[in-house]
Amino acid sequence: MTIADVANLHTFVDAFRFIGDNPHFLLEKAWQQIELSLAALALAAVVALPLGVVLGHFHRFSGLAIGASIFGRAVPSLVLIAAFLTVLGIGFANNMVALAILGTGPMLTNAYDAVDGVDRDAVDAARGMGMTGGQVLARIELPLAIPLLFTGIRIAAVTIVATAPIAAIAGGGGLGDIIVNQASYRLAGVLGASFCVMLLSAGVFLALAALQSAVTPKGLRRSTLGRAPSS
Amino acid sequence: MIRKHTRRAAKAAFAISLSVAILIGLLTAALARPAHASPKAGPTIILGSKNFPEEYILGELYKQALEGAGFTVSYKQSIGSTEIMTSALQSGKINMYPEYTGVIVQDVFGHKSSPKTASATYKLAKSLEAKKGFSLLNPTPFYDTDVLAVTNATAKKYGLKSIADLKKVGAFKLGGFPECKTRNTCFAGYVKQYGLSKASFLSLGSISGYAALDAGKVLAADVFSTDPPLGKGSKYTVLQDPKHVTGFQNVAPIVKTSLLQQLGPNFTKTVNAVSKDLTLDAIVAMNKAVEVDKASPAVVAAAFLKANHLK
Amino acid sequence: MRLAGGGPVIPNFGQGSSCVTGDHVFCWGWVKAHWGDTLGPALVQHIELTLIAVAIGFAIAFPLALLAHRYHRLEQPFGTVAALLYTIPSLALFQLLVPFTGITRTTIEVALVSYTLVILFPNIMAGLRSVPADVIEAAQGMGLTRRQVLWRIELPLAVPSIIAGLRIAVVSTVAIATIAATLLRDGLGSPILDALQDPIPFKTEIYSAGLLAVALALAADTVLVALRHVLVRWPRNAE
Repeated sequence: MTIADVANLHTFVDAFRFIGDNPHFLLEKAWQQIELSLAALALAAVVALPLGVVLGHFHRFSGLAIGASIFGRAVPSLVLIAAFLTVLGIGFANNMVALAILGTGPMLTNAYDAVDGVDRDAVDAARGMGMTGGQVLARIELPLAIPLLFTGIRIAAVTIVATAPIAAIAGGGGLGDIIVNQASYRLAGVLGASFCVMLLSAGVFLALAALQSAVTPKGLRRSTLGRAPSS
Repeated sequence: MIRKHTRRAAKAAFAISLSVAILIGLLTAALARPAHASPKAGPTIILGSKNFPEEYILGELYKQALEGAGFTVSYKQSIGSTEIMTSALQSGKINMYPEYTGVIVQDVFGHKSSPKTASATYKLAKSLEAKKGFSLLNPTPFYDTDVLAVTNATAKKYGLKSIADLKKVGAFKLGGFPECKTRNTCFAGYVKQYGLSKASFLSLGSISGYAALDAGKVLAADVFSTDPPLGKGSKYTVLQDPKHVTGFQNVAPIVKTSLLQQLGPNFTKTVNAVSKDLTLDAIVAMNKAVEVDKASPAVVAAAFLKANHLK
Repeated sequence: MRLAGGGPVIPNFGQGSSCVTGDHVFCWGWVKAHWGDTLGPALVQHIELTLIAVAIGFAIAFPLALLAHRYHRLEQPFGTVAALLYTIPSLALFQLLVPFTGITRTTIEVALVSYTLVILFPNIMAGLRSVPADVIEAAQGMGLTRRQVLWRIELPLAVPSIIAGLRIAVVSTVAIATIAATLLRDGLGSPILDALQDPIPFKTEIYSAGLLAVALALAADTVLVALRHVLVRWPRNAE
């Protein structure tokens, strides 16, 4: 494989041919990746969303919420996968947990910011009207928090889907199986599988953006800016 | 308005940070180049090794022996599997690496089946490589073939003695390193030669077959005959391969012929002296030291070379 | 000297400690014994990889951002290329560069630099843009040239964003650099991959290399936060 090969763009063309020649195989691999990503996202959501929302409601432990993001970014996914492999053994579980941890950071931080940042006046007014804490949360804070909250879910989802190929290093399957196997599938296969991953990430992003629009209360839809997530 | 000294400080800070950043980048790039002892006269041997521990040991053995004999060696450990090594060799990114004779014949040159003896395999490999401008130095006494292993319990359950017996099992998962899927000396070969049409392949990535077997993720795994877990009292049963799908696999260093000529007879002598001492017992002992006792390949290789006056 | 009967001398390579062979959770002894030949060099390599990538990334992103700030038309194309780069899985990018730069550190660095560009460019741009328009107008009204406005007002106010970008870039680079080991045994990903290959994945090596990577990322983050405090008085919002 020389520069001439690649500069000729023929690898590029071959990549598309690879995709065209192996639709079933690629779909099967893509589905494996989606399964893994969905499970990881669900696990992360179950932990991060309630926690973030509750902490934000009580305006407590902001350090934890922000720290979760920094921590989640600071631990390389390879390290997570390897470490959980030693605890959970090989297979679906360890990769799922590792990816879930990656997704927890953005969701926790955004959930916290979203609820914590809701206009105090609105909250005060609601309390003034006699609503309990729970009612304030359900009727005022959560609806107003949806844009930012959903952004967090979106970031987490795209991060998880885009990182999932690494699971192939630990027998986790998915499109990563092709990417780590340049020997069998050649550069064209690696490039083709990469395009599929990119497409998948983009697809998840758009799908969730559409879902976010659907779920956001009408009054808020135009101003999804609100507050930027902290970094 | 921003106060004057803050402005100036910030401006200075920017200039400084940017230059520091660039400086660090350049310095580290320069310093990061490995410090060679003043290179001896002669071309550099760019030695590579494949991506598993036995190859790391072989790489270190040849590297240290050659350096001891006064050659300049640039060693790149764990470049990749056979296919990657072959293209690295052909494009000149490396000019030497230890390869297995049967792999050369069946995987590099795609022959469907293996010759009937170890020496026939070596001779064929040598002539095939010579046509491409590469020389094969002497083979090692030890061989290391791919083998298919199952747990003892599985062997008992299905009465498995040879790979052909796997047909009895019906649909099952066979695990191996990624490239195994398409190789004649591995999954593709097993399926074809033994009619295992119901077998499906599980790509293990970097995970060892033994870990996958222990976890019950696969019924059978492709592993290597010199692996420490296959020794006496093993928990695993190696299935016999009467059709020699995995071929004969002694190790022989591939070297670019033009480099060989440039380096002279002392090079060949040094390498062959090391290869001569690599018996099955020796390599298994070294594998155990690295894979089970977690010693580093460089240290193990050094000890072996020293004990045999090869350094 | 050969043994009578031929055959090499097989020295005693020493027995691994019972901690290691027994697959205990963490073997301090192994870490101490192998710091010099395995963990230490890997850590140094990782620091090198990260520093070079972030330094070069910054050296490229900074002038590009200044350019895009001046000529607004450039921002879109720069931004799009950057975003596209980021979606390429790192596992693949390393391999895709091999035909150009070989199986060398250069390949790793090109990939790492690409990812840092993606993070630094938007952050520097955002920082530059964060200056309120009326502040700039006032300054221009006072007779400051465009260059003076840039260096005396916009850049100082952009520092927090830039440092924020550097923090993310450094931490991401440390993480992505572990994947580089799939291409070439360089950095802290190398002991981890080696440990995964053992018949029983070697816990101690995984945990120690992993902890070093996390510690490195957190340490770098802390240094940059300190740098931010040193560099600038926190600009008051009301200005």
